[in-house]
Amino acid sequence: MSKTTAIQFDDVRFCYDEVCAINNVTFSIEKNSITAIIGPNGGGKSTLVKILSGLLKPDEGSFLVADNFSIGYVSQFTDVDLSFPITVMGMVLSGTLCQNIKPFCKYKKEHKERARLAIKQVGLHGYEERGINQLSGGQLKRAVIARAIASEADIIVLDEPDSSLDVEAAADLYKILIDIKEDRTILIVSHHLDAVLNISDSVLYVKSTVTKYSSIEEIRKKLGDGIII
Amino acid sequence: MINAILNYTFMQNALMAALLASIVTGIIGTIAIEKKLISMSGGIAHASFGGIGFGYLLGFEPIWGGLVFAVGSSVLISRLSKNSKIKADTMTGILWSFGMALGILFISLAPGYMPDMTSYLFGDILSVSTSSLIYMGIFTAVIIFVFAMLYNHLISYMFDEEYSKARGINTKALEWIVYLMIPIGIMVLIKIVGIILTIALMTIPVSIAKLICKSIKRVIIASMILSAVFSVVGLTISYYVNIPSGVCIILLSTIVYLLLLAVKHSIQKKLHSQRVHGKV
Repeated sequence: MSKTTAIQFDDVRFCYDEVCAINNVTFSIEKNSITAIIGPNGGGKSTLVKILSGLLKPDEGSFLVADNFSIGYVSQFTDVDLSFPITVMGMVLSGTLCQNIKPFCKYKKEHKERARLAIKQVGLHGYEERGINQLSGGQLKRAVIARAIASEADIIVLDEPDSSLDVEAAADLYKILIDIKEDRTILIVSHHLDAVLNISDSVLYVKSTVTKYSSIEEIRKKLGDGIII
Repeated sequence: MINAILNYTFMQNALMAALLASIVTGIIGTIAIEKKLISMSGGIAHASFGGIGFGYLLGFEPIWGGLVFAVGSSVLISRLSKNSKIKADTMTGILWSFGMALGILFISLAPGYMPDMTSYLFGDILSVSTSSLIYMGIFTAVIIFVFAMLYNHLISYMFDEEYSKARGINTKALEWIVYLMIPIGIMVLIKIVGIILTIALMTIPVSIAKLICKSIKRVIIASMILSAVFSVVGLTISYYVNIPSGVCIILLSTIVYLLLLAVKHSIQKKLHSQRVHGKV
């Protein structure tokens, strides 16, 4: 694994019982880059993201991240109960929580400061004490990204952060990703091909296996204009 | 009523038991509601009746038998639903009725007259003995200590388990802790409102608190206060009207919840209408 590499997949395979979601997956991702993950439904994008986030372990092959790099996962947030009584500050603060379960692990002043900065970075300054059920869809997605930023993750994996957002809210979100790219590696699953490719340095096309492309032109050249994502 | 509290030990015990149960309601009720474990909690409460019956049959304190059955059911529901294709809901239903059937079987096998099990089924706060108060105090202290010790991790786990797992936090350990805390809490509540009404006391004060509070800490504290108020007022009503205290507590809290829900709904409707007509 080279010094500039953030993530390295080597011949990774993952199967749900008899059905293999991804097979022979080999690719690497450079540090401080934005990589779009695209592909048809059922192609294995979610499985790939879950392996990247540590929620699934590969059946075969190896998945390596650069030394001391931590991964922040921004889920689609569809399974989270929005009636949970938590404020934006409370949610973002939970990103700073110590990974090892320590008795009486409390949020320190520096954690609160980090959370406040992350909230400001995603443009939610002033919303700290607002309940998450009082946020719009776009604001909620930004709050979830703030939690990943506050966790000081070196790699942020976003699973369809632009789904259910209007064009303006999605554009705001992409702007945030470009801003935080400076010191982070970002992987983003999206079906909004044109928008997400504009901000990406490379593209992973996932359809059981993974092919890495450097531009949309390259993908279209290889797969044709009728590419299904 | 105040004279009764000052003069009778059973009234002092009842008041103390109500306060302990309120603490448990705030903590365990919130966890169970947010982790959607209410029906599982109902199953655990009913399954504990098997252990209570077993205690009667063998002549030891029934509540310890109940605790063993409650913890066993909780672990069984958790493990089987994770490691097999049986859904937690199905397992809950099976253990719910199995525990009750076992309890009745053990009691019917016990020598002598069949004891009156009403206090275990519907609770009897006025019959809380000093020894019961001691075990209730120990159980409550364990719950408070574990919850305070792991507060931030438990909140993060309750809110977004997937995120906690992706962060590398040991969510399996937290899950074990939750599945052990719930049956311990249930054993405290059984003495107050009984097996059948336990879910109501776990659910209603927390649901009311969620109508008015927007942070989890406030929900927990508010539900403790509400539970204490319902228990004391319910106890007072039952003292004067001579109806079972558990029933009084649950009826009172349900009426308050429904009234508050209606008020909140009507306020929201009014605000929405004002917004639509541009008045806000």
